[in-house]
Amino acid sequence: MAEPGMADPAMPTRAERRERRTAWLLVLPAVGSIVLVALFPLVWTFWESLHLHDLRMPWRGRPFVGLDHYVELTTDVRFWASVGHTGLFVAVTVVAELALGVVLALGLNEMRRGRGLARVLVLLPWAIPTAVAALIWRFMFEGESGVANELLVSVGLLDQPVIWFVGAKTAWVPAMLADVWKTTPFVTLLLLAGLQNIPDLLYEAARMDGAGAWRRFREITLPLLWPALLVALLFRMLDALRVFDLIYVLTGGGPGTATEPVSLLAFDTMLQSLRFGYGAAMSMTVFVAAFLVALVFIRVLGRRGTRGLA
Amino acid sequence: MLVLLIVAACGRSAEEPGGVRVTFSGSAVGAEAEVLRAQLDAFSAQNPDVRVEIFATPDAADQRHQLYVQWLNARTSDPDILQLDVIWTPEFAAAGWILPLHSFRPDTDAFFPAAIRANTWRETLFALPWFVDVGMLYWRTDLVAEPPATYAALAEAAAAATTAEVPYGFVWQGARYEGLVVGFLEHLHAFGGSVLDARGRVVLDSEVATRALNFMRDAIHGRGMVPEDALTWREEQTRFAFQNGRAVFMRNWPYAYPLMQDATASAVAGRFQVAPLPAGPGGGNASVLGGAQLALNAHSEEPEAAWRVVEYLTGPEQMLERARAVGQYPARRDVYDHPELSAALELDASLARRIIESAVPRPVSPVYPQLSSILQVWLHRALTGQREPAAALRTAAEEIRALLERVELYPDTARPRGGVDG
Repeated sequence: MAEPGMADPAMPTRAERRERRTAWLLVLPAVGSIVLVALFPLVWTFWESLHLHDLRMPWRGRPFVGLDHYVELTTDVRFWASVGHTGLFVAVTVVAELALGVVLALGLNEMRRGRGLARVLVLLPWAIPTAVAALIWRFMFEGESGVANELLVSVGLLDQPVIWFVGAKTAWVPAMLADVWKTTPFVTLLLLAGLQNIPDLLYEAARMDGAGAWRRFREITLPLLWPALLVALLFRMLDALRVFDLIYVLTGGGPGTATEPVSLLAFDTMLQSLRFGYGAAMSMTVFVAAFLVALVFIRVLGRRGTRGLA
Repeated sequence: MLVLLIVAACGRSAEEPGGVRVTFSGSAVGAEAEVLRAQLDAFSAQNPDVRVEIFATPDAADQRHQLYVQWLNARTSDPDILQLDVIWTPEFAAAGWILPLHSFRPDTDAFFPAAIRANTWRETLFALPWFVDVGMLYWRTDLVAEPPATYAALAEAAAAATTAEVPYGFVWQGARYEGLVVGFLEHLHAFGGSVLDARGRVVLDSEVATRALNFMRDAIHGRGMVPEDALTWREEQTRFAFQNGRAVFMRNWPYAYPLMQDATASAVAGRFQVAPLPAGPGGGNASVLGGAQLALNAHSEEPEAAWRVVEYLTGPEQMLERARAVGQYPARRDVYDHPELSAALELDASLARRIIESAVPRPVSPVYPQLSSILQVWLHRALTGQREPAAALRTAAEEIRALLERVELYPDTARPRGGVDG
């Protein structure tokens, strides 16, 4: 027991205790809202995924089925196909968006006149709501005499019109183009911010040492842009993994289910088939995948960050 | 606020003079709301002991279905009367949510047999047909001399009549949705096949079914009679193609008829007619049946009074009234003999009757929506060339069997269960 007035270093003083309490009170709203909007739905979804809950067959009740839904997922061909579709969509669109984003950001960074206007123009697609953008792209690619067909045939890229949304492969073209068109501006903006953080001094020094443009890009721009690139990659991957609205409006997952990503299948299972339990299991797998991606990136980013400081 | 409303509502109903209160839920927007209100007022004038209140529900079928499921699952006693889509009756009957109607002794022979079959689950009638919707063959009277009786004759006539200005021989709804299943069922029945047999076993992987689906695929990819584009079309896109004069034949519902007779919007006004859908080799001509039914909530506190409302609304005069007001096709056969019906429907009533007599219900199953979504996927895969029709139907049949087994409805595993008897 500490004597009164003789503070035991292990025992917090009253002032310290009060301070701690205040600290907890201050973070309570933040922690509370995270629990409410992130943790609670997550736990609820997981709990739901362990139950048979089928609104179309309420007479079956709502029994606990353990991991049955996850076992069913392992042999669900449509689910694995949708995982493949999601992977393909992420790989193609994210690579294209990053490559285009780098080019656009470099261009914008070099511009000396009309920069503001150019930035506004580049950002325009990003400002259009996804559903509206998807409808525009659907309209352009629809039918035999859509804008895309007319254009591609007139410039000689196509011999005859393609019915884009009927082909299992061709339906991807408008879907991926629309995503690249819509989200490249976001990547560009992030990278532009990264570029502007690179001091001109470095380029001047390199130029004096006789480094050419490619050398300067490889040795200075790319390494210093790396953190911004990683952030852009993380955001885009997480977004593309959860792709839903664009595909829902543009192809509806068709033809057949040839362009159906996991989140669309989960939506269909939950809100069309009303199999809440099974749909919840699908949503959980999407969450775990996105979570793992985020985890890897945060570790990589964290390492980069400290090395940059050293 | 909510409490105030509830108190106000209770207060009001307590003040109302005697008589029982019955609630009705269904389509209650626009012209449909007006005619319904007028019909219910006329009923109350004749039956002062019953007051009918309308519960507004969303007009979109999926949303209304969801709302009904929530209410009925919670065993609420309101609404007493439910307007059901034709494919919901078996589902609601098997769940024990709606009352069997045999004790009320309805005159089932007066209705179209397909409409009665669609509302019958385990040999018991659970809902009374109100109005019907039916697939029809629209044909161009200026391009074709007479409507084809068979699909082979249709293909021939279509090939002869297509030109650069009229590039499409036949248009139907081919997008991946319920409409695709309906079109397939019409072909399937015409070829003499079906999805479920009389005992409820899955017979979709039959040779006739493959022939029917092959015919549909070849119509697109072989003959070029149906445009590939149709695989993304629903009702309205087919109507636009036909209405702009670009197709010789079209499969569609009756709603398109008055719209296309409007010469200000339609290029084919006065130059088309309707006929029963063609027959195939080995089957009769078959149109798929749609439409609305009226059923009674199993937890209704006033089933007797509610039945009187249903009986009134499904009577011949009231069906004629709805045909006049909103162009809906009566579900009773004898109404088609009424001299005023042709004018109300803007279509020769005896022809309409002939088409509806050939109608077939969709597979009568409590899990029809899931069964349909399996079919939607595999039919669309087959028609877009991702799978051979025979293989697609085989897999679809397997998945439907697995579905029926999972819900304990497959005849070989089925035991009498729950629902109304349990």
